[in-house]
Amino acid sequence: MNLSKIQEIFSAQSKNYLILFALFILPFTISLSQISSDNNLLSPKNRLKFGDYLYKEKDYLRAAGEYKEYLKTSNNDTVQFKFANSFFKIGRFIEATDNFKGLFFNSLLSEEARLMFYESNFFRNNFKTFRELADQSNYKTVKYHDEIERLKFTTYFFDDAILPDENIILKPFPDSVQSQLSQFYYQKKFPKQKSITTAAIFSAIIPGAGKIYTGEIGDGITTFISTALSAYLAYTNFNADHQFRGWLFTGLTAFFYGGSIYGSAASAQIYNARIRFNFENEVKVYFEQRDYFLPKIDF
Amino acid sequence: MNIRLSIISFLLLFSLVSKGQDHLTLWYNHANNLFNNKLHYDAVTEYKRVLFFDSTKSYHYSANYKIGESYKAGAKFDEAIRYFSFAELNARDREEIFQTKAQIIRANILRKTTARAVQLCDELEKDGRFVDKRDTINYWRGWAFMFANEWQSAANSFALINPSHELKLLAERTEKAKVSVTFAKVISYILPGAGAIYSGKFLSGLMSLGWNALAGYWTINSFIEKRAFDGIVVGELVWLRFYRGAIRNAEDIAIEKNLETANKSLRFLQNEYKGIKP
Repeated sequence: MNLSKIQEIFSAQSKNYLILFALFILPFTISLSQISSDNNLLSPKNRLKFGDYLYKEKDYLRAAGEYKEYLKTSNNDTVQFKFANSFFKIGRFIEATDNFKGLFFNSLLSEEARLMFYESNFFRNNFKTFRELADQSNYKTVKYHDEIERLKFTTYFFDDAILPDENIILKPFPDSVQSQLSQFYYQKKFPKQKSITTAAIFSAIIPGAGKIYTGEIGDGITTFISTALSAYLAYTNFNADHQFRGWLFTGLTAFFYGGSIYGSAASAQIYNARIRFNFENEVKVYFEQRDYFLPKIDF
Repeated sequence: MNIRLSIISFLLLFSLVSKGQDHLTLWYNHANNLFNNKLHYDAVTEYKRVLFFDSTKSYHYSANYKIGESYKAGAKFDEAIRYFSFAELNARDREEIFQTKAQIIRANILRKTTARAVQLCDELEKDGRFVDKRDTINYWRGWAFMFANEWQSAANSFALINPSHELKLLAERTEKAKVSVTFAKVISYILPGAGAIYSGKFLSGLMSLGWNALAGYWTINSFIEKRAFDGIVVGELVWLRFYRGAIRNAEDIAIEKNLETANKSLRFLQNEYKGIKP
């Protein structure tokens, strides 16, 4: 249908029809321009829409890609926050910290970005650096000061730094968790470990005693019996003039005896590692279940 | 007049929508190019973009299917199955439903959830819509059994397609080359080291036999010399240890031998077999 024919139709009809048609066609004209811009799937608007969809679907890496393209043309604090947070969510904490830093100044999300910056640094597991950062005044936040203090003192439970006084560490935490954290504090400060030297000396005096000291009672008794029996066999074989068997069992006795000393030292080491691992695991689960006492910030 | 206006409006609206869909087609083709060039990460992004903007759901089957294929190629089988399931929900005909179901079975084979793959094959076989697809179903069931290390069952499945099917012969060969773990253990009870020799480890078997003979001699000799306590202790500490060791060794060697045989066949399937693979 060409234009002249349409004009012919209009001229032939009443004014009311013309108005009606104009009213009818106007939204189409508007939507035509809208749809044609919408058709460009890579327009900033569509990038943002698609990025938000991916972000909601937890496809953070792809969402970050879309946000990155969007941010090339538009400046939007929320999008920049989500861009940085996408990296945080997939554990790329270095990129997350770099991008949260971009929101430190002249942004409505400055405080949240600072908190997330600290969170990203915390999860990089370099706790010494984190504590240094937490003490730096130029990155500090007023709104989330307590949260960062809590994170700073949480780090002491995860590394080998010298523990500050109990009251200092526990101060930023709520009353409801004070007794549990106090228990963790003393477990950390005075771990119930076994001495490697003591275990080895015990086994040197009585084979297997070191293992009993480290809690491996069954192993200790077995070691004692095997060493004693092989020593006895060496003795009886020498007595029966079986030189080869006598020396063989002597060697076996020496092997059991040496093994018992070494095994006891290793057992003490394993015991200590287990105590440490269990403690760290317990602390980690405890803090994870409470989201490290951090507020949930997301959009 | 109203009819004419309606026609004009319809044409306008149709042209707008079709223009959008044309653009989507171009984008879908772009995603296909990425997929064909094995750029699976980028392909998934673009297929997802197509899905997001596809208001008429024209690509909901094909894009989901391709995303599933991309994830499968990247060994992300859980994700692959998820998207094949989406594709199945949007399948338009019997053929498309079957294709997605077959892909789900193949992804299950690859992620070694072979019991699930076999279960899905059984379900497909019972489905009246796919009576003509029996060969394909048996083919993938055979593959599932091969990945589950059940070579005889695999051979049986391939035999249903063709009694002289290449994979049937391979599965039978593999089954024949395997040794019986139980037999290896039983003969080791009778003669220590015999199980290892049966599984092809002659040196290990002979050494086991030698150690047992020596320890047995010491034990018996102690009893002959009336040193009963020595005899009991040597018998318990040395001889019994070697005897039990020989049985355990025979079992381990037989299992290892079977694993080697199966791996050899799987390597052949991976590198030399020309047919369709999961």
